[in-house]
Amino acid sequence: MADRVLKVNAFTTFDLLEGHLEGHGFTEEAFATLNVRTARDEPEDVTLELELDNVSLDAVPAHADRVNLSAAEARELAGELADAADRIDTTEEDES
Amino acid sequence: MTSACYLTYSCKYCRAPGEPGKVDEVVVGIRPDRFLRDMPSKVERWKDETYGLEIRDHLERFAEEGFSAIPDDERDAWFERFKWWGLYHQRKGQESYFMMRIGTPMGRLTPEQLRTVGEVAREYATGPVENPEFGAAYADFTTRQSIQLHWIKIEDVPDIFAELESVGLSTIQACGDSWRNIVGSPVAGRDSDELIDVWPIVEELHDRFKGNDLYTNLPRKWKVAVTGDRRGAGQGDINDLAFEPAVKEIGVSEPDSEARQTASDGGEEVAGFNVNVGGGLARKEPRLARSIDVFCRPENAAAVAAGLSGLFRDYGDREDRFNARMKFLVDEWGTEKIRSVLQEEYVDYELPTAGEGLREEYDYNAGRSDAPGDYVGIQDQADGQNFVGLSVLVGRMAAADVIELADLAEEYGSEMIGLTQRQNVIVGDIADEDLDAFLDEPLLSDYSPDPHPFMRGSIACTGTEYCSLSIVETKNRMVRYARWLKENVSVPEGVSDFHIHLSGCTASCAQPQIADISLRGMKTRKDGGAVEAFDVGLGGGLGENPRFADWVEMRVPADEIPGYIANLLEVYEAERDGQESFREFVADRDEDELSGLAEPEETSYEDPYLNNTKMTWYPYADEDDMSASPAPTNAKGDPMPTDD
Repeated sequence: MADRVLKVNAFTTFDLLEGHLEGHGFTEEAFATLNVRTARDEPEDVTLELELDNVSLDAVPAHADRVNLSAAEARELAGELADAADRIDTTEEDES
Repeated sequence: MTSACYLTYSCKYCRAPGEPGKVDEVVVGIRPDRFLRDMPSKVERWKDETYGLEIRDHLERFAEEGFSAIPDDERDAWFERFKWWGLYHQRKGQESYFMMRIGTPMGRLTPEQLRTVGEVAREYATGPVENPEFGAAYADFTTRQSIQLHWIKIEDVPDIFAELESVGLSTIQACGDSWRNIVGSPVAGRDSDELIDVWPIVEELHDRFKGNDLYTNLPRKWKVAVTGDRRGAGQGDINDLAFEPAVKEIGVSEPDSEARQTASDGGEEVAGFNVNVGGGLARKEPRLARSIDVFCRPENAAAVAAGLSGLFRDYGDREDRFNARMKFLVDEWGTEKIRSVLQEEYVDYELPTAGEGLREEYDYNAGRSDAPGDYVGIQDQADGQNFVGLSVLVGRMAAADVIELADLAEEYGSEMIGLTQRQNVIVGDIADEDLDAFLDEPLLSDYSPDPHPFMRGSIACTGTEYCSLSIVETKNRMVRYARWLKENVSVPEGVSDFHIHLSGCTASCAQPQIADISLRGMKTRKDGGAVEAFDVGLGGGLGENPRFADWVEMRVPADEIPGYIANLLEVYEAERDGQESFREFVADRDEDELSGLAEPEETSYEDPYLNNTKMTWYPYADEDDMSASPAPTNAKGDPMPTDD
């Protein structure tokens, strides 16, 4: 297997998530790391990077995916994540 | 040599405001304007404001006024600058405490210097809670042959500096963006089988490039190895600049009064170095240093080193610190361009092409079955005496033991203590007639010259005990691994040293890529909860054919690592071909075979550090929650009020 692509240390946003990969005719599951990063100096955008552990993957080679978000896009994503989290909380409260 | 400075405005390097200055002792072609023209990064701006020797004045001011005198909004900048003087602020939960690194070129100290290190550790390197394995005060010997002390208060720094400097030790440039501690064999000049005694060369490099304004502020750290032995003990392959031993036949027309004549074609066979650049393990982008096809006579080592570190200073990437390493410049330029720019802009003599190296003889950390890969044990010195290599598990020695070792060394007439890149220690100059008595000293039962193979080859980084980056506990765990393996796993026949390197994250402080078994901190899920874990690599090492580890397992729970190693060694012993070394055994197998070679397994091994030690303020405190931290504390160690 190949080495990890993303570095992982105490500043990594999530070092242990459960990830899924889907393609045409295949699906796979693996632990994943997810990280949010910006340039140290005068950042212009936010990078969201994701890597599924390649030791668990057969369908794709070792790799990481990155998307760049503007500040507005990052806030929009954060807002949607917060809204989605609220819906989970609300559901749990309703069920309790 | 003096050459004109290119600048027509104030230049802090030649200190000639308003007019072209003069640069002292500069190699031809220096271009200080290159690094003053663009200073885009925050760290570069901090460095431009204050860096180098002048930081000491500020350190002493803060020591006088106390930690709280460092303005909150300037702490990041000051902590970055303090590194240049060997001080790292410790991690979250340990605010106001510092790690101090003492740079010892090639790991060499006198017994007096070692005693001072022990005394400083005993006096100043004590924190609020003891370490359960190592006690209240200890010193760490690092993979770059330096010494690290923890729990240092800034208020004590001037006194510590005074004590260290009284015996010729210093923390200067032990960290930060400049020439770091130069590594190499501590027994240079004593080794009974070496090409060149490099100690005078290393002393020259150390004296010239420490505290030298011209090389104070590089784009990033600059790591240099100088090797003159036949062991490859400098481990130059993983350094920015490596001088590797070599011989070259050079025409008699070239001036060299000390060269010896050879009969082959009337030329002179000169002992010197081949020059390699751009090695390193960090940033998940390991590189072996690459040849620039240059042979360097010993007397030219300083000129070549000045040229290459000047080249890095001027052309290294100051916009992106992650990219600011020599290895990436070599990637970008290629070795031919590095050579041509060195020749055209930085060195004023014609560089010879590379000579014939000694790499096929290298055995240091080489994974060979016919030679040990370290300095542990008793070996002959060139002068008929002996040096004794002692195993220091994970490189950590209690302060009291450091002092005792210094006293012993002095008592037995040793003039040299050596720290090795395998985190062990050497005592030199033991006479034949004293050897038995020395080996019978009680201290050597703890730091053995003949350790069990699992106690001998273990290296670990600092880990979550103090480090901001690490995500797992390291040193105490490695100690527990080694003890368990010793008690429970039979050593395959013929194996005398087995190298396990344990790093707390994907940074490479324990050099995990160059070990028989590489362990790199991760997390995984077990029994419903998150636990500390390791990615596992196999078969890395240096030597004649250096190679990085193959990564074969991901996220093995930390408590299943000993079982994995036990199963792995069982397979190795059963399936190896004759006396095939473990590294050869791994090299002979493809990716699929390696991934399925052994299974992780729970055993009788118990791991007390499974649960996310990075979230504690100190992993071994009874009350380890971050909120229980006494930090920040004042000079006496009493908690200080915070805004939180």
